[in-house]
Amino acid sequence: MRNSFDEKILDEALDWIKTNQKVVLATVIQTWGSSPRQVGSRMIVNENGDFSGSVSGGCVETAVVRECIDLIKENKPCKKIEFKVSNESAWEVGLACGGEIAVYLEQVN
Amino acid sequence: MNIKTLEQIIKNKSSKVEFAIVTNLQNGESQVFEPGKKLSGDFDKFQKEVENFFKSKKNGIIENSDIFVETYIRPIKVIIIGAVHIAQYLVDFAKSLNFEISVIDPRGYFATSQRFPDLKIINKWPDEAFKEIETNENTALIALTHDPKIDDPALQHALNKKFYYIGALGSKKTHENRCQRLKEAGFTDKQINSIHGPIGIKLGGKSAPEIALSIIAQLVSATYNKK
Repeated sequence: MRNSFDEKILDEALDWIKTNQKVVLATVIQTWGSSPRQVGSRMIVNENGDFSGSVSGGCVETAVVRECIDLIKENKPCKKIEFKVSNESAWEVGLACGGEIAVYLEQVN
Repeated sequence: MNIKTLEQIIKNKSSKVEFAIVTNLQNGESQVFEPGKKLSGDFDKFQKEVENFFKSKKNGIIENSDIFVETYIRPIKVIIIGAVHIAQYLVDFAKSLNFEISVIDPRGYFATSQRFPDLKIINKWPDEAFKEIETNENTALIALTHDPKIDDPALQHALNKKFYYIGALGSKKTHENRCQRLKEAGFTDKQINSIHGPIGIKLGGKSAPEIALSIIAQLVSATYNKK
């Protein structure tokens, strides 16, 4: 489905900010091949690593959370990260589905 | 993203105003675009491209640029006839999908806000109720009362307005009788056959939430096949 007016992720982001949490928005901005979530899919992450929403089917969320925490620590406004196909023999983050995605991280302030 | 931009987005979302979020991926600056309004600052040279994304309801990066566009389009209107038990589950399922539901039921004891909190219930007969709702080829109808007095006028309205999805609850026998009545009212076989009856995809379940699930699944499928 397209972005829904009922989707609560951005409302949740504002709620977090109102309770003095630092928030990073992570948005899928590009996909190649068979990727689990479509462009525009979102998750939010705070400085403690709490997160809501998704940018994949659970494949890369852990790495995104880590990157978001770093963004807050280094106080950078934004960053683009890409995830490629995972290599099954290596213990690394990637997309088992064979797709690739680009995720954009931005601080809300 | 600026907090003010986020607040603007949430305001537009809750008042169901269509918009797009335009983000410069280089520096993280973003702006809310609304149709008919001009983008300001560095974004103004992308006005035409943003409008094109908006018209085609697309999300993505404008070619040869660092501008990301994310569109928010008004949800599809779904009209339910009958504030019955199945309708309560339909409303729940529709919450996480891009559907905007209205329930019509002239029977006061069904159409209560206690049974349907936070929902627009029109406590009128369909002919009267449809005067309040704008409908077109992008509207869907789910008729659940299986009472001809209530369902039939709604089905006739939906057929005349060429709703993209029309479904009616009831057994095969009920549906045969319904088709016969519509035929007598002057509707063609093609029009009558476009009605999904008995409604829903075959899941095998008989409980209210299972029937609601089979209806919403059929509606989502019809929505994707529409274009």
